[in-house]
Amino acid sequence: MTSNRIAYTGFVAFVSVVLTLVVVNLVQGNPEPTAGGTAENADGESVFRLDDVAEHNHAGSCWKVINGVVYDLTEYLPNHPTEEEVFTRWCGKEATSAWLDKGNGRPHSPRAAARLEDYRIGVLEGGAPAPAPVETADSATQPATGDDRLGRMLLGLAPGNYLDGTYRGNFIDRGLIQVSLQFRLEGGRIKGMSYRHLFYRDEDYLKMDSSAELYPVLRQYQQITERLEGEPMEAIFRLYEPENVVDDIDGYTGATLRGAKVISAFRDGLNRGVYSW
Amino acid sequence: MTLRKYPGDLLLLGLFLLPVVVVAPALPWGSQGWLYSLAELAGVFALSAFLLAGMLSARVPGMDPWFGGLVRLWTIHRWLGFSAFMLVMVHALLLALATLPMSLGTSVATLFPPLSHWEVWVGWAAFLTMLVFIAPTLGFIGTLHYQNWKRLHLLSAPALVLALVHTMMLSATAWVWWLLSALALAAIAWRKLLSPRLARQPYVVDGIDQLARDVVELRLRPKGKGIRWQAGQFVYLTPMDSSLVAGYREEHPYTIASGSRDDELKIGIKAVGDATRALLDIKPGAEVRIEGPYGTFFENAALAQKGDSLPGEPRKQLWLAGGIGITPFVSGARDRVGNGAVQAPDTCLFYLANRPERAYYLDELVRIAEACDGFEVHTHYMNEHGVITRDYLAERCPDFAEWDIYLCGPPGMINHLQTLLRQEGVPAHRIHTEAFDFL
Repeated sequence: MTSNRIAYTGFVAFVSVVLTLVVVNLVQGNPEPTAGGTAENADGESVFRLDDVAEHNHAGSCWKVINGVVYDLTEYLPNHPTEEEVFTRWCGKEATSAWLDKGNGRPHSPRAAARLEDYRIGVLEGGAPAPAPVETADSATQPATGDDRLGRMLLGLAPGNYLDGTYRGNFIDRGLIQVSLQFRLEGGRIKGMSYRHLFYRDEDYLKMDSSAELYPVLRQYQQITERLEGEPMEAIFRLYEPENVVDDIDGYTGATLRGAKVISAFRDGLNRGVYSW
Repeated sequence: MTLRKYPGDLLLLGLFLLPVVVVAPALPWGSQGWLYSLAELAGVFALSAFLLAGMLSARVPGMDPWFGGLVRLWTIHRWLGFSAFMLVMVHALLLALATLPMSLGTSVATLFPPLSHWEVWVGWAAFLTMLVFIAPTLGFIGTLHYQNWKRLHLLSAPALVLALVHTMMLSATAWVWWLLSALALAAIAWRKLLSPRLARQPYVVDGIDQLARDVVELRLRPKGKGIRWQAGQFVYLTPMDSSLVAGYREEHPYTIASGSRDDELKIGIKAVGDATRALLDIKPGAEVRIEGPYGTFFENAALAQKGDSLPGEPRKQLWLAGGIGITPFVSGARDRVGNGAVQAPDTCLFYLANRPERAYYLDELVRIAEACDGFEVHTHYMNEHGVITRDYLAERCPDFAEWDIYLCGPPGMINHLQTLLRQEGVPAHRIHTEAFDFL
């Protein structure tokens, strides 16, 4: 019967193809396992090949290689400040270049580097030996990050007794109030910081619509209040390098933010003393 | 197999497509996933075909006409098994291909992963088990003794279970597989465990008529209620006589030779293998079990009796019989005797044999022809006339190409006659044949 011949031919072809795959793979001397990437290096860390990483190339499972380290950034994706596509186009890839240049010639912040380590799942096989977490590498040159000794020193230069209570302060320039804010101190920690007025070059930021061109800058100002919540008061001096505190949003980098105005308004509030108890 | 449609076909098609309809939308058809999805789909089709083949093995008496008779049912069963086997290989190859762009290692690891991915290895076990039982069926290693082949074919049950485990572990939509597998395993359980007790009717051998050196007719009397049958149907007969040289408790299909209103069930048997040869020596009083009837050989006749026939006169019938293939026509001819006044279509029977001694039943057929109007019997002896020709037929039945034509006989004869009839312009739907030589 014809079907018998077809079945036999098909079976022989099948066995041939499978054997060819297996033998060629053996001859290539590919001792590596497997899509699972179960190998480990001497440090007990998983070793992946770029092939393995390449499978996780979408928003549902997004791995990236940065400086020889493999990160599973799937869960971080919703928190990334840019358009999703900016983030996902690097999924499954060697993304060090994108890490070092966000598209504006600037690297990601040390703050971002610190968060990145939470997502580390292994190293790339044959890649450069994984560098120590980027955070420590950078911290020597960036003393303001996560190290508020400088802040304490600055407050020490202008000592005062900062009682618990609500403070209000302003930054005034060229005859106009640009930043006006309110915050509480509780045990020396910043609580409930909010803006009462944000104004610059004819733009009243607090009345800005979310479609406005400069709206991302307002978001960055708001990130300042979110991220200083509960921090010791000297953390305000981190804003001398605002890119360490806020994210880049829609092409507005943290570095362009005038964090010094917020510091100034904050210290104005401290100098004025408690506004209300 | 004719292309005629039967109500059961729709049921089969529905069951076959159900898993695909359920599974396909959930597959990752996106830019890079289509090959992988195709691979999965091949697996889904393979299991569907496999499960359906399992269901069709039930062979419940009375249900086969829904599918155009048991022979057609077995033909579908065989095609489903063949398709499942081919599709499983496509499934594995496409999986390997889908992962090949990543690397050869990944591709090989997809087919042969670490043992911790045991569900993949269960899939391989299912394929190898399938290979063992299907290889003799598809003629990879010659032909096996019928009973050995049949026992080996039982491996389909464990293969089915392995394939199900493989699929269930990797599939998100288990319910559809539970449904189909319940049907398939129930069918196998019915066939192998229940039907031998529930569906086989006890009969006693009343007498044995020797028709030729190697041909007998068994006359059987039911011990209980017995079965009802139509002319041209067949039964599975299981001898319960342990003194037989071979074939004790083995079931084989045989055509019924008695008319549908006869009290006795008569079965024409020609020695073609161990079991049939041994059956020639069965003694009166021995017990046999009968399961059936099956088949729809004279399907038009059956339809006509239900008042479902074509308008006008029933079409005349040309019967072409060779060797033991005369049996269904003996049944049809005997039917006319008992039938009395009920009109039967004009019929012309050609009995094709090598020589007169091999034309068993001929005397009785001639007697019937003399007694019944509209029924003629002609003989054609190969040794005398050579291979039968259209002229030989046309001389005796000038307009035979307009008739309904029924064929039963050895494969060589069937092939020759089908070619001849097609050259005469007889459409396939008017040529009826039901060869169960592979059952």
